[in-house]
Amino acid sequence: MPTLEAPEERLRKFKYRGKDASMRRQQRMVVSLELRKAKKDEQALKRRNITDLSPNPSSEKLAKAVSLTLDEIVSRVNGTDPHLCFQATQAARKMLSQERNPALKLIVEAGLVPRLVEFLKSSLYPSLQFEAAWALTNIASGPSELTQAVVEGGAVQPLIELLSSPDVAVCEQAVWALGNIAGDSPELRDIVISSNAVPHLLALVSSTVSIPFLRNITWTLSNLCRYKNPYPCAKVVKQMLPVLFYLLQHHDTEILSDTCWALSYLTDGCNERIGQVVGTGVLPRLVELMKSSELSILTPSLRTVGNIVTGTDQQTQVAIDAGMLSVLPQLLSHPRSSIQKEAAWALSNVAAGPCQQIQQLITHGMLPPLVALLKNGEFKVQKEAVWTVANFTTGGTVDQLIQLVQSGVLEPLVNLLSVQDPKIVLIILDVISCILQAAEKLFKKEKLCLLLEELGGIDKIEALQLHENRQIGQTALNIIESHFFEVNDFAVERGAHISWWADQQ
Amino acid sequence: MLSSPEQMQKQLSDAISIIGREDFPQKWPDLLTEMVNRFQSGDFHVINGVLRTAHSLFKRYRHEFKSNELWTEIKLVLDAFALPLTNLFKATIELCSTHANDASALRILFSSLILISKLFYSLNFQDLPEFFEDNMETWMNNFHTLLTLDNKLLQTDDEEEAGLLELLKSQICDNAALYAQKYDEEFQRYLPRFVTAIWNLLVTTGQEVKYDLLVSNAIQFLASVCERPHYKNLFEDQNTLTSICEKVIVPNMEFRAADEEAFEDNSEEYIRRDLEGSDIDTRRRAACDLVRGLCKFFEGPVTGIFSGYVNSMLQEYAKNPSVNWKHKDAAIYLVTSLASKAQTQKHGITQANELVNLTEFFVNHILPDLKSANVNEFPVLKADGIKYIMIFRNQVPKEHLLVSIPLLINHLQAESIVVHTYAAHALERLFTMKGPNNATLFTAAEIAPFVEILLTNLFKALTLPGSSENEYIMKAIMRSFSLLQEAIIPYIPTLITQLTQKLLAVSKNPSKPHFNHYMFEAICLSIRITCKANPAAVVSFEEALFLVFTEILQNDVQEFIPYVFQVMSLLLETHKSDIPSSYMALFPHLLQPVLWERTGNIPALVRLLQAFLERGSNTIASAAADKIPGLLGVFQKLIASKANDHQGFYLLNSIIEHMPPESVDQYRKQIFILLFQRLQNSKTTKFIKSFLVFINLYCIKYGALALQEIFDGIQPKMFGMVLEKIIIPEIQKVSGNVEKKICAVGITKLLTECPPMMDTEYTKLWTPLLQSLIGLFELPEDDTIPDEEHFIDIEDTPGYQTAFSQLAFAGKKEHDPVGHMVNNPKIHLAQSLHKLSTACPGRVPSMVSTSLNADALQYLQGYLQAASVTLL
Repeated sequence: MPTLEAPEERLRKFKYRGKDASMRRQQRMVVSLELRKAKKDEQALKRRNITDLSPNPSSEKLAKAVSLTLDEIVSRVNGTDPHLCFQATQAARKMLSQERNPALKLIVEAGLVPRLVEFLKSSLYPSLQFEAAWALTNIASGPSELTQAVVEGGAVQPLIELLSSPDVAVCEQAVWALGNIAGDSPELRDIVISSNAVPHLLALVSSTVSIPFLRNITWTLSNLCRYKNPYPCAKVVKQMLPVLFYLLQHHDTEILSDTCWALSYLTDGCNERIGQVVGTGVLPRLVELMKSSELSILTPSLRTVGNIVTGTDQQTQVAIDAGMLSVLPQLLSHPRSSIQKEAAWALSNVAAGPCQQIQQLITHGMLPPLVALLKNGEFKVQKEAVWTVANFTTGGTVDQLIQLVQSGVLEPLVNLLSVQDPKIVLIILDVISCILQAAEKLFKKEKLCLLLEELGGIDKIEALQLHENRQIGQTALNIIESHFFEVNDFAVERGAHISWWADQQ
Repeated sequence: MLSSPEQMQKQLSDAISIIGREDFPQKWPDLLTEMVNRFQSGDFHVINGVLRTAHSLFKRYRHEFKSNELWTEIKLVLDAFALPLTNLFKATIELCSTHANDASALRILFSSLILISKLFYSLNFQDLPEFFEDNMETWMNNFHTLLTLDNKLLQTDDEEEAGLLELLKSQICDNAALYAQKYDEEFQRYLPRFVTAIWNLLVTTGQEVKYDLLVSNAIQFLASVCERPHYKNLFEDQNTLTSICEKVIVPNMEFRAADEEAFEDNSEEYIRRDLEGSDIDTRRRAACDLVRGLCKFFEGPVTGIFSGYVNSMLQEYAKNPSVNWKHKDAAIYLVTSLASKAQTQKHGITQANELVNLTEFFVNHILPDLKSANVNEFPVLKADGIKYIMIFRNQVPKEHLLVSIPLLINHLQAESIVVHTYAAHALERLFTMKGPNNATLFTAAEIAPFVEILLTNLFKALTLPGSSENEYIMKAIMRSFSLLQEAIIPYIPTLITQLTQKLLAVSKNPSKPHFNHYMFEAICLSIRITCKANPAAVVSFEEALFLVFTEILQNDVQEFIPYVFQVMSLLLETHKSDIPSSYMALFPHLLQPVLWERTGNIPALVRLLQAFLERGSNTIASAAADKIPGLLGVFQKLIASKANDHQGFYLLNSIIEHMPPESVDQYRKQIFILLFQRLQNSKTTKFIKSFLVFINLYCIKYGALALQEIFDGIQPKMFGMVLEKIIIPEIQKVSGNVEKKICAVGITKLLTECPPMMDTEYTKLWTPLLQSLIGLFELPEDDTIPDEEHFIDIEDTPGYQTAFSQLAFAGKKEHDPVGHMVNNPKIHLAQSLHKLSTACPGRVPSMVSTSLNADALQYLQGYLQAASVTLL
C-alpha cells in the first residue's frame, strides 16, 4: 500500500534529521504530473504571426495580393514562374494568418511544405523567401504534428541559412520560424541546436538591431533554453549565457521578460545547471527585476531566483547576498496570489538552508508576512507557506523556533489542520510535534500546550486520530500521547527543577 | 453484481474497492470503459451499482498523499470518466423533472445524484482538474439548483434518519466548501450565490435530528467563508447579520428534546460532549464556530444583536421559569459562546470578548440559581450555572468565586449526575487555579471553614446512583487533599478507610482507569501529608493498606499491580530507620521472573527495588546475600532489551551506589562483561548514554584506578579503547542534568586521579578527554539520532510507557548521588587540575597549552579564574 511507503518518502523530503540540506529543498517537479489547466501567466510556447500589414516594403511594390483558392495555390506554387509562386505563397500565408481558424492542417495536407522549403532557398527573390518563411512560421505554430511536418520537410537548415540573409525582414522571419520549431519539444529543439543555429542567432544580437527584431531573437533563444529531459547541452548553454546576460541589461519589457524566462528554464534543474547561471553574475540584476511593476518581468525573474535557491547553500547565499530577501516581503504581500505563491516557494527553500540562512530570513522581517499568508492567503499560497514553516522548524535552532512561535505562526497552522489536504495536515502535525519537543527542552512545554489548546489545537489533533489516512492518525495519536496526556496536570508539582548546570558563581 | 439487490450491491462494491486497490488500473484496464458503457443502459438500478463501485474505487483520493502513481491513476480516470459523469449528471437532473411526480423513480434518481456528488468530491479533491474547471458552470449551476430544490415526495416522516434530500444537500455543502477552501480563485464568482442558498436552506430547515448533519455542514460552510477578508462584504450588512443571528444561530443553540434525553439518561455521553468538546459535529458547536467566525470582523454588531436576544430570553424565563427554563439555557449558552474567544481545560476561558460583562451576568443570573435552596430544581440550569463558573473562572473576580465555593459543595448532593459531576469538576478546577507568585489562588486557610462538609459531600457523592466510579469526583478528592494539606490530617482515619474500601471494591473489576489513577494518587497524598508531620504514622497506613495490597497481588489484578508497587516504594522510603522485616519477606518474591514478564510492571518494580537498595542495602548484604545473584539476574534480563535497558541501568546504579563494595566484589567483572556483550550485539544511542553514566558513577564510587584496572583486566588496552571509542566521541550525547554532572565528576577523576593517564600510552588521550569534558560543559547537547534508530526510538525513550501509569504523588525527588561532594562541576575540575599540577609541576600546563583548542583553553581559564587557582 502506498501509505506504507510514505514514511520513507517523508524522511527524504522533509522530516529529515541528517545534515544534507539539499534533500529538504523541494524541487518544482516532485510530481511531474498536473491535473490543473496550464497556467495563463507562463510564457508562450509558439506564436503565430498574424500582423495584417506586411512589414516588408519590398512586397508592397508588387501587385496587390490576390486571393486564391487552395487548389489554385497548389497548382501555382508547383509552377516555375517566380511571380506566380510569390502570389500563391502570399495567398497561402494569408490563409495561415487569418485570426480565426487558420487552415494550417489543410495547407500541410495539400503538400505545400516541401515547396515552401524550396522557396526559402531562392535567394534571388527575398520577398518570396519572406512569404515562405512566414507561412512556415505559422504552420510550425500549430500542433506538434504540423511542426513536425515543417521539420521533416527539411526547413531547419535553410532557415538557419536565412539568418545570414542581407534582407532584415527575411532574417527576422527565419528567427521566428526557428523559435516555433524549438518551442515544440526537446527533440525538435535539439534538431535546431545540432544544426548549429545558435552561433548564427547570437551573431544577430547587436546594439544596432531594431527592438522588434531583438524581441524575436530573445524569444527564440528562450525556446532554445526550454525543456528538461533532456536539458539543452551544457556547451550550447555556455555559448548563450553571455548574450542572455547582455540582454538582461536591456530596458524593453518583452526582451527582459523573455530573457528571464530563458534563465528560469536554465535554472530549473540540478545544481550544476544552476551553478552555470549563477556563475555569470546575473543575480543582482535579477533581484532588481524582481522589483519590476511589470508582471511579465516579475514572474520569470522571481521564478529564476526561486529556482536558484533550490540549489546548494552557497548558491542560495549568492542570491541572499544579491538582496533577494529584501525584495521578498513585498512580493509575499503582492496583490496577485500567483506571485505570493512563487515568493513563498522561494522562501521555503531559503528556510531549508542552514540556520545562518534561517537567521537572515528572520532578520529581513520575513516572519510577519509569512504568518499573514498562512492566515489569509489562498490555499495554494498557504501550502507553500506551510512548507516554509516546516523547513524552518527542521533546520532552525531552538532560539529561532521561539521567534517563530512568537510571530504567531501557531494560530493559522492550527486552523489549517482542518484543510482538505492530507499532506499538508501531516506536515503541520510534524511541525507541531517538532515545536513541542523544542519546548520540552526549554521546560516551556506546559505553556505551549496551553497555547495550542486555546487555539483549539487539541480538539483538532484529537479528531485527526480518526483520520482515514493511517499515517496522519498515528502521528496525531503520538502527539496526544506524548504531550497531552493527563499526567501533564502534575507537571507543576514535579517541575520544580533545580538547574544546577547553570553557573552558580 | 449490477443486478443484485441494493444491500448486496453495497457489499459487492466494498469487495471491488479492495480488489481495485490491488488491480486497478494496470491489471484491470477495461474496468473504466465497462463502467462508462453502463451509463448508457438507462437502467438506474444498474447505473447506481456502477456509481457505487466508482465511489468505492475513487474515495481513497480523499485521503492519500499526492504521488506520481496516484496522479497517473486520477488522470486516467478523469480522461475516461469525467465527461460521461457530467453527461449523466445533466441527464439525471432532467429525468428528475420529468418524473417529478413519481416517488419511487425520484428515490432512485436522487440516490444517483448523491453518488455523483460524492464522486465529484473525490475527483476534485487532490487538485482542480482541467475538465472540471472548464465545466464548472454546469456543475455549480446544477448544484445550486439542487440546494434550493424541495419535493414533498422526498420528505420523510422519520425524525432521526436523514432522507435523500438531506444527504444530497449535505454533500453539496461539502463540495462547495471544498472549492471555497482550495480553489478560491476559480470558484470566487459562484461563491456568493452559494452563501445565499445555504443560509436560505438553514432558515427553512427544521429542528429534527435528521437534519443535524446537513445543518452543521451548512453552518460550518458559512463559518469558514465569513472569516475570509475578501468575503467580509457578503456579511457586513446589518440586516444580513441580524438575520443570520436570529434565524441561523439562535435556533441552533436551543436545548432540544434529544439533548434533554441525553442529559437525563445518558449523562456520561452528555458530559463528554459538553465538557470535553467531543461535540465537533453538533449543531450547537457549529453555531458557536459561526459566532466566533463572525466576531472576527463584526464583534461589535454581533454582540449588540445578541445582547438584545439574551435580554428577551431572560425576560421570557422570568415570566414563568418552570415553563420557560429553556430560554434561560439558550441565553447562557449564547453568552458563553459570544464571550469565549479562547479556552483551555486548565484555565477555562483565556481570552474573552470585552463587550460582554461577565461578572454582572454572573451576579444577576448565575448566582441566584445556585443559591436556591432546592439543589434538584431545574437541573439543566444548575449545570449551566456551574459550567459558567468553570469556564469563566479566570474572568470572574476571586471574591465572587469564593462565594460560589460553598454553593458548589452543596451541589455535590444533587441527584442529577450531570449536576454533581459538574460541581466536583468545578471545585477541582478552582482548586488548581494559580494566584500571584505561582501559589494556588485559594489558600488552605480560605477553604478551611468548609473542609468537613467538602470531604463529606465528596465521598457521599460517590454513593449517589451512577457515580460510584465517577472520575471527576475522585479527581476533586485528590485535588482537595493536595490543596488542604495538613488540614485534612484529622480526617485521615475515616478518609483512608473509605479509600481502602473503595479500592477493595473496584479491584474486583477495574473498569475506569482515570478513576483508579486518581484514587491511588489520593492514597499517596494521604500518606505524604500525614507522614510529613508524623513519620511514625507510616505504620498505620501499612496496616490499613497491606491487607488489600496482598489481595490485589494474590488475585493478580494486573491494572493495579504497578500502582501497588509505587505506593509501597513511597511507604518504604518514608521509613527512616532500617528496613522493616515485613518488606524483607516480600523481597525474594519481587525477583521472580514471572513478575518481570509484564512490561507495565517494570518501571514500578525497578523503582521498588531501588527503594529496597536505598533503605536496606546493609540488611540485604547481611541477611539476604544469596539474593544478590537474583538481583543481578534482573539487571541482566533488563539490559538485554532495547526497550528496558535504561531500567537495568537504574537498578545497576543503585547497586553500585548503595551496596557495600565487598558484597558485590565477586560479580563486578561479570557485570562489565555483560555490558560489553550487549554493546557488541546492539549498540543504540540510549544504551551508550546509560553506559557512560554508569562507568562514571563507578569511577566516582570505586576510584579512577579501579575503573582502569577492571577494563584492562578484561582485556589489555581495553581502557584506552573505551576512552577513545566511547567516552570521548559520545559524551556529548548524555542528557539530563544529574547524568551530565555524574559524567563531569567521573571524567575529572579520570583526568586527575588516575596515574596511568599521566605516564603510560594512555597519556595521549589526556588532552582529548579534557577537551571533550569542556565540550560537555559548553556545547549544546548532541541529540542527533542515527537514521536506523528512527523508528525504534519512540517507544524506547525513557519515560514513555503506554502500559505503565506513573503516580505523580508517589514520585521521588530527583536523586543526585554526587550532590554532597560536588556543587559546581566546573570549579571542581579547576580545583582537581590544580591539585594534580602541584603533584607534578609543569606537566599540566604544557599538556593543556600544546594540544587543547583555543576555545576550550579559554573556557578552562575561565574555570580556573572562577576557582581562584592556577596551574603550576
